[in-house]
Amino acid sequence: MDTIKKRKPWFYWMLFIATAVIVFLLGMLAASITNRRAEKEYVYKPMIELKQGEPRNAEWGKNFPREYQSYLQTADTSFRSKYNGSAAIDMLEEDPRLVILWAGYAFSKDYSQGRGHYHAVDDIRNTLRTGAPMNGTPGPQPNTCWTCKSPDVVRLLGQMSPEEFYKGAWETRGPEIVNPIGCADCHDPQTMNLVITRPALIEAFKRQGKDIAGATHQEMRSLVCAQCHVEYYFDKHKTEGVSCLTFPWDKGFSADDIEKYYDSLNFSDWTHALSKAPMIKAQHPEYETSQMGIHARRGVACADCHMPYKSEGGQKFTDHHIQSPLNNIANSCQVCHREEESELIADVYERQDKIIESRNKLEVLLVRAHVEAKKAWELGATDEEMKDILSDIRRAQWRWDFSAASHGASFHAPIEISRIIADGIVCAGNARTRLAGLLEQKGVRSEIPYPDISTKAKAQQYIGLDMARLNAEKAEFKKVVIPEWIKQAAVRESKY
Amino acid sequence: MKGLLRNILPPPQWRLPVTILLGIFTGMGCYVFVISNAASYLSDKPETCMNCHVMTPQYASWLHSSHRRVANCNDCHVPHNNVVNKYFFKAKDGLRHSLWFTFRLEPQVIRIKSAGQKVVKDNCIRCHQPLLIDPEMQAVIKSDYYRNRVGRQCWECHRETPHGTVTSLSANPNAQVPTLSPVPSWLIKMMNEQKTKP
Repeated sequence: MDTIKKRKPWFYWMLFIATAVIVFLLGMLAASITNRRAEKEYVYKPMIELKQGEPRNAEWGKNFPREYQSYLQTADTSFRSKYNGSAAIDMLEEDPRLVILWAGYAFSKDYSQGRGHYHAVDDIRNTLRTGAPMNGTPGPQPNTCWTCKSPDVVRLLGQMSPEEFYKGAWETRGPEIVNPIGCADCHDPQTMNLVITRPALIEAFKRQGKDIAGATHQEMRSLVCAQCHVEYYFDKHKTEGVSCLTFPWDKGFSADDIEKYYDSLNFSDWTHALSKAPMIKAQHPEYETSQMGIHARRGVACADCHMPYKSEGGQKFTDHHIQSPLNNIANSCQVCHREEESELIADVYERQDKIIESRNKLEVLLVRAHVEAKKAWELGATDEEMKDILSDIRRAQWRWDFSAASHGASFHAPIEISRIIADGIVCAGNARTRLAGLLEQKGVRSEIPYPDISTKAKAQQYIGLDMARLNAEKAEFKKVVIPEWIKQAAVRESKY
Repeated sequence: MKGLLRNILPPPQWRLPVTILLGIFTGMGCYVFVISNAASYLSDKPETCMNCHVMTPQYASWLHSSHRRVANCNDCHVPHNNVVNKYFFKAKDGLRHSLWFTFRLEPQVIRIKSAGQKVVKDNCIRCHQPLLIDPEMQAVIKSDYYRNRVGRQCWECHRETPHGTVTSLSANPNAQVPTLSPVPSWLIKMMNEQKTKP
């Protein structure tokens, strides 16, 4: 106690004041940290407040001019790669065998290589597959077909259940859906985070016991694409009378697993007009097949190549001109690969060339199998005799379609696609061996001639399509109905 | 020892206010520790560097580069010759950064300092050595082979690796970057529940 007693009272006052000053400064530091943390939350200051489900891309464009302007470039149709590109290529004209393979299904009427997202709504209105529903006669497609075409779908899903949205014929929502695929399809209007807006993907994850909310940002850069670029079918039994969009992933991702799933449901998209086989139409399993390849295994997301970083002036942003990386090698491939542009393109074409070579062979076998099966029916074959043959044809064409409809798959997963095509050739071979035996029993001694399907017109005539009528009806529909839809939509949007 | 303790301990009549003040001091210290995510600085997570939002362009450009597959921030930006040096450099660099950031001294375009350049270059060599140094050549060309191979700064030629040349504070206005929130997850959950209640 002696030492303490020796101290003067002012010493304790100093100690008190010094501690208080330190605590004060520490408090200031804490306030500064909090302040700068808050800054981070407000880095993004929108020009305009976006409503939940705002479908008009131009409104989003006011906040994000660069992203929006690059998105607008998806309107461009001038790029042509060796096999595809951004223009609407009439694939039935390019390859009339497709007409035979899809006989009895809407794809035999009209199938064009898809254009950019900007044209999504125009293209679904204009295709013959959606028919010309006028004057109260319901069209051939359900509203489910709109699901992937527009951010207006996000708006409507905010107002109703998915089942209610899918319900009814395609033309009933024509006036509602006018904005082409855009911002709200993948982005949250408040945070701009990537979001899954389409229920089918969330449901598919749930059925596999996975929660899509746990996906990382890098996974989301592929999963937002997987909302649409996937194999799907319409489940008509979930809710009676409604075509519910469903992803057939319950047994797995591969062509074989998806086929097992369809077989277990006894599902077929249509009965083939020539062979009467119960067919499955592969839609566009682009996400599935891309996950089977080396790029996905190395953690590359769809956006890494199809929407790479872009610099403009002093700013960098994600290029929303979603397109073939073949048109943008420098920003996509060459971020990782240090080879010459021409060499990289040659690498892609080599894979495409070789796989398309095999796929074309399978295609010819399938045309022959359909035509031969048709002949067998004409000669009085029974259901029992045809059962295994039709099953083989179904298997072979599913494999062909899975590799053809998955577009980039010959590059994304060349090894798996080659295996699937090889498997398809075996199935088609089996079908034709059985058919040869059956036809011989029915007295056919020579080869069934290959039909003259050298042009789209000849092929469509061969399967009995009245193209003149279909085209005329569609032209009338475009003249009468679509302007009406646009007018109604303009009235609605003026009230937003 | 006893004498020292006696010197520090306040007289009995002062003990209560001093204890309270020390409590405030400790509590404030803990608060600063938590809200600044101080513990995260011991890790190698890129999210840690995002504690200061001025690093957004660096994070975003790294995420879009091929290096994201093999290297995080610390793989290149702190030394790896030994663990003491690693944390010494990290602490030294980090303290300078936090000082600048707190007093808003960060420049519009953040450029690497020479100490950092040396560390980065050493780390380039650490991973890419097999590409740079051919032992056979080194055995034959004794004089200045090594210096010729690793003498220059790698980015004199590899200018875009990995962050690119566009890296100002406003270079990536809309980049989506992860954040380490000091708010614990249970509290966020509770707040969200509150929000959704009618």
